[in-house]
Amino acid sequence: METYRYTQPAEHPVLTLTQAGEYRVEIAAEGVELTLFGLFQTADTQMEQVTLTIIHQARHTQSHTYLRGVAADHSHLSIIGTIIVEPSAVGTNAFLDERILLLTPTARAEAIPNLQISQNEVKCSHAATISSIPEDQLFYLMSRGLDRAKATEMIVEGFLAPPVLPFQA
Amino acid sequence: MARFAPLTPQASPDWLDDTSYQHGFRSSTEDYALISKPGLNKRIVELIAHHKNEPTWMLKQRLAGLQIFSQKPTPTWGADLSAINYDKIHYYLRPLSHNAKEWKDVPQDIQTTFERLGVPQAEREYLAGVKMQYDSEVVYGSLRQEWEKDGVIFLSMDEGLAKYPDLVKQYFGTVIAVGDNKFSALNTAVWSGGSFVYVPPGVKVNMPLQTYFRINSENAGQFERTLIIVDEGASVHYIEGCTAPAYSSQSLHAAVVEIIVKKGAHCQYTTVQNWYKTVYNLVTKRARVEEEGEMIWTDFNMGSKVTMKYPGFLLTGKGARGETLSMAVAGPGQHLDTGSKALHLAPHTRSSIVSKSISRGGGQATYRGLVHVAPNATHSKNKVVCDALILDSASISNTFPTQRVLTSEVELEHEATVSRVGEEQLFYLMSRGLTEEQASKMIVQGFAAPLIRKLPLEYAVEMNRLIDMEMEGSVG
Repeated sequence: METYRYTQPAEHPVLTLTQAGEYRVEIAAEGVELTLFGLFQTADTQMEQVTLTIIHQARHTQSHTYLRGVAADHSHLSIIGTIIVEPSAVGTNAFLDERILLLTPTARAEAIPNLQISQNEVKCSHAATISSIPEDQLFYLMSRGLDRAKATEMIVEGFLAPPVLPFQA
Repeated sequence: MARFAPLTPQASPDWLDDTSYQHGFRSSTEDYALISKPGLNKRIVELIAHHKNEPTWMLKQRLAGLQIFSQKPTPTWGADLSAINYDKIHYYLRPLSHNAKEWKDVPQDIQTTFERLGVPQAEREYLAGVKMQYDSEVVYGSLRQEWEKDGVIFLSMDEGLAKYPDLVKQYFGTVIAVGDNKFSALNTAVWSGGSFVYVPPGVKVNMPLQTYFRINSENAGQFERTLIIVDEGASVHYIEGCTAPAYSSQSLHAAVVEIIVKKGAHCQYTTVQNWYKTVYNLVTKRARVEEEGEMIWTDFNMGSKVTMKYPGFLLTGKGARGETLSMAVAGPGQHLDTGSKALHLAPHTRSSIVSKSISRGGGQATYRGLVHVAPNATHSKNKVVCDALILDSASISNTFPTQRVLTSEVELEHEATVSRVGEEQLFYLMSRGLTEEQASKMIVQGFAAPLIRKLPLEYAVEMNRLIDMEMEGSVG
């Protein structure tokens, strides 16, 4: 398990994860605003699991987490993201977004976004989706002359591109 | 806790002395026809089967249940169940030797109990049929003639087994197997009471059927078993209400509800659960939905010490639909662990789960759900929305959704938010002259309104009143 711990007050770190595995992120100083990107791809018969736990321990901290997964062939991708808000973390603002794209009918996915909140002065939310590439998107690109493989590739590329960073000075 | 008005300290931290629970009265158990000794063993199970004069296949099921119950460990993944003392509970409490056909034949103290709960009045005014269960047995039941004429069956489960043994045998335990979990096994071993509903093809019962569950004894176990079969193209709405007296000792309520929704049929099952805050409520509810059928669970949890309940649907036919609307209000000393399970087992199935919870005064509300899409369930859609309100810093709110997809061409969405009553919202209302308490109540009611709107009017009024009472003095 890899542990990241932020102890510098008012820090604005950006963390990017691309390898499956177990991660623990502790936000231990006041005013830390973390932005976390996770990009994961599986193919063939791979079976991968990402376990990410973000723990808010200090006051007025924020975390914005965007996890993207793409599962192809016969692979199996599982993403378990948990936000824990400890009683000491007054004024937490946390958001966790998990999205998984399935490229083949044989690919499998699991998305488990958890929230454990022991403090009322918080704003926490999470969202998760699992879907395949909509046929109409493929159709649109193919009607512009791309073949199916190229169209798929483009859509995956767009899907994995990091979301535009929240406007920051 | 920034506020705009001075905080007034709230007295009575001892929530067991809570006077706001108006269903806490009790009646004597002296005249009971039978109260089994506390504890559970093979003899108790045989005693129940003997008293009910059941076919042997049912006794076999009961004994299988008993064996699984004693072998399975108590689940530890959810709420804390370690305080349940299985040896202290009375597993079978029979208040009367016979069921009453007419309301006037029901003994006076039981009549008074149900009158105080307002059930007979509701029966006269807007229900198609009613059952009243008092501890282990259904003491009274009725069904309006117009539905009886159409072939609708609405009996207690015991009567159902006696009158329609083949129908019961065909479906009993087919949706929730004996060994599904520890408490479904316990229920199978000692079940008593509950409802048996059969709606013939094409019959639409447009007034709700209701069962009212009342625990009256101390250390009581209530294990009702409900089986609802909605035949092709039929439709029914079933409502259950639950209350118990204010005893400081624990009682255990472990029901099993199985529903079969056939092709094109529609079933709505509404629960308004308001057990006293010492009751363990561990219930297994599941529906099997066939082609183009629709199942709606509306689940309101206000009472009980611990509730673990995840009404689910198996969408087994093409185009089947499932919907869960769940609301939990967890107050001091309570842990409400609720949610829903959606299993997509056929193509073009759709489901949605909307869960709202409010935790206050140190209460804990948990959403725990499962969405499973099987390999052949292509073109399925699911949406889960969880909203939680936390009213003070001592309370806890958790969300544990699981989404598992074993095929492509599906759409799954999950959203959850946890927040407190917004300061701007409070400020806005208070600037219009409301007190902080009125403003909070109004916001909480607005939060719950989308679910309460799904209830029949009389229940919606009752739910609003309950939430109002529950929120009394809880501004924090």
